[in-house]
Amino acid sequence: MATAIIETTSLTRNYGDICALKPLDLQVPEGEWLSVMGHSGSGKSTLMNLVGGLDRPSAGSLQVGGKDLLALTEDGLARFRREFVGIIFQQHHLVPYLSAVENVMMAQYFHSVPDEAEARLALERVGLGHRLKNRPGELSGGEQQRVCIARAIINSPKLLLGDEPTGNLDHKSTVMVMDLLKELRDEERFTIIMVTHNQEVAAWGDRTIYLDDGVLVREERMNS
Amino acid sequence: MNRRRWLIHLVLRALAHRKGRTILLLAVLAMASSLATALGIVSSSMGKRVAEEVRKYGANLVIIPETARLDVGSGGLNFGVVSEPTYLLQRQVEDALALSGLHAERSFHLRGTLHWKDADIIVEGVNFADIRRLFPWWQIKGNWPVAGETVVGNDLATRLKLKPGDTMELVGKDQLVRLRISGIVSSGGEEDALLFLALPELQQALGLNGQLTLVRLMVTAGGDSLKKSAAALQLLLPKVKVNEVRQTARTSEGLLAKVKLLMLMVTAVVLISAGSSVAGTMSTTVLERGKEIGLMKAMGGTRWEVMLIFCGEAALLGVSGGVAGYLFGSAIAQFITRTVFSASAEFIPWFACISLGVSLFLALLGSLGPMISVFKLDPVRSLRGE
Repeated sequence: MATAIIETTSLTRNYGDICALKPLDLQVPEGEWLSVMGHSGSGKSTLMNLVGGLDRPSAGSLQVGGKDLLALTEDGLARFRREFVGIIFQQHHLVPYLSAVENVMMAQYFHSVPDEAEARLALERVGLGHRLKNRPGELSGGEQQRVCIARAIINSPKLLLGDEPTGNLDHKSTVMVMDLLKELRDEERFTIIMVTHNQEVAAWGDRTIYLDDGVLVREERMNS
Repeated sequence: MNRRRWLIHLVLRALAHRKGRTILLLAVLAMASSLATALGIVSSSMGKRVAEEVRKYGANLVIIPETARLDVGSGGLNFGVVSEPTYLLQRQVEDALALSGLHAERSFHLRGTLHWKDADIIVEGVNFADIRRLFPWWQIKGNWPVAGETVVGNDLATRLKLKPGDTMELVGKDQLVRLRISGIVSSGGEEDALLFLALPELQQALGLNGQLTLVRLMVTAGGDSLKKSAAALQLLLPKVKVNEVRQTARTSEGLLAKVKLLMLMVTAVVLISAGSSVAGTMSTTVLERGKEIGLMKAMGGTRWEVMLIFCGEAALLGVSGGVAGYLFGSAIAQFITRTVFSASAEFIPWFACISLGVSLFLALLGSLGPMISVFKLDPVRSLRGE
């Protein structure tokens, strides 16, 4: 079995009196595609934010890629994110005044040095070679999500996080995006954690965990 | 593309995206810095202009001899004070002026009486070249005198029925002085009752070679510097009196100081208003761009790196506002000085630094609060739009 890239022990997150994530023990092997399912407020996004270094746990331990995220400072977490994590958002969150290629270069800027040729290649890889200079407002939802994927993979992250990346897409675009992610994962061998409401989308992964009210209630391994 | 070029590119794109707000901020910064520049240039030009005007009033320091006084009395009776004329030594004054290093225009005067047709006439020996420089308001009907010539005060000329071209034979101490009247002087002051001749001629006629009764100095300094100059000279000339001509110098300097204070206060009010306006606009911008900031942080931007982008925007606005403010302010200053002082304002290049500094300071200070928000913003909450 591959070594665990993510390892949590009694990982907990409270927001005041509300316990969004109850003590969770989870191991994610390197290269695995883990789907996280559950109803709204079940703790899916909380788990993803904690694993991605966007939020800090209230208790427990959290090791990602051998790093103890609790020990990192605010800026240390930022550096962890830029080196280690790529994030695909449901709302895309593209910068509206930058073109597709510039949006990808933005991630390069925070990681190292913006390289337009490399950013173009990333967009060509996601099938947007003809939309390099278009701004987000000029792209369809599926195209915007592909820009978001190109931006997430440009720095060759070890961990790709998807927060309902197909939540705003129609079926055709969803299939296109998921196929693309599968293809990229097969090439790059990065680990994927994808939060979704959609059983069909979850089925693209190797394993699905189900959260309910902050508790891991079920785990399902998919047939490849 | 290197990181710096990308940062500039990003800043320019962000500013161009919000054209309306960018123009508004630029206008506020340019207005504030142009006002600071204009008032600064006007103030500086006004100072010089007033100094020039003050020059027209003549000397601002005078050196006079201490009067020798003698109490006259007998027993318990006091008959009063008798004073006899005393003089300054020209060489001593010249040495003291050289030693003091004072930058001053000077005129030496010797006053005395000469006898003419059974009457005593008060005469003054001067250097006419100095007089023309220091007392530009003297109006001469006729010509300025050359050697062997004199000018007569208007009142005296009327009283004695003298006119240009007449010749006078004046008697001094055992010596006769023959002078031709070259012109009649009119100054509106005591000069109108005097007769003027060349200083060496009078010194010789009175047997007072190298002696003076008065030295007028026009020091090119103002305020405290004038006071200090007087004190410095007094130390070098302990047996004479060095007095400030307070009236003109003090009044003009006082007025100038008040006008400058008023300008400073107006500028301060404008800068405070502009700073508030920048702060308000920048706060709105940061609020609107919460998701963008959250995204930058989520992508791995540290708090300082994200803040640098916003500081870059503020700095670029500040620099642009400063440049525009300098150009616009210089034009306003030119307009004010032409309209109010009927003179053209100086072109003062280093005021560009002040304009830039004011604009940059306002842009960064006004952005301070929003920057702190950028620094503190939580990426998860801001991406959720909270």
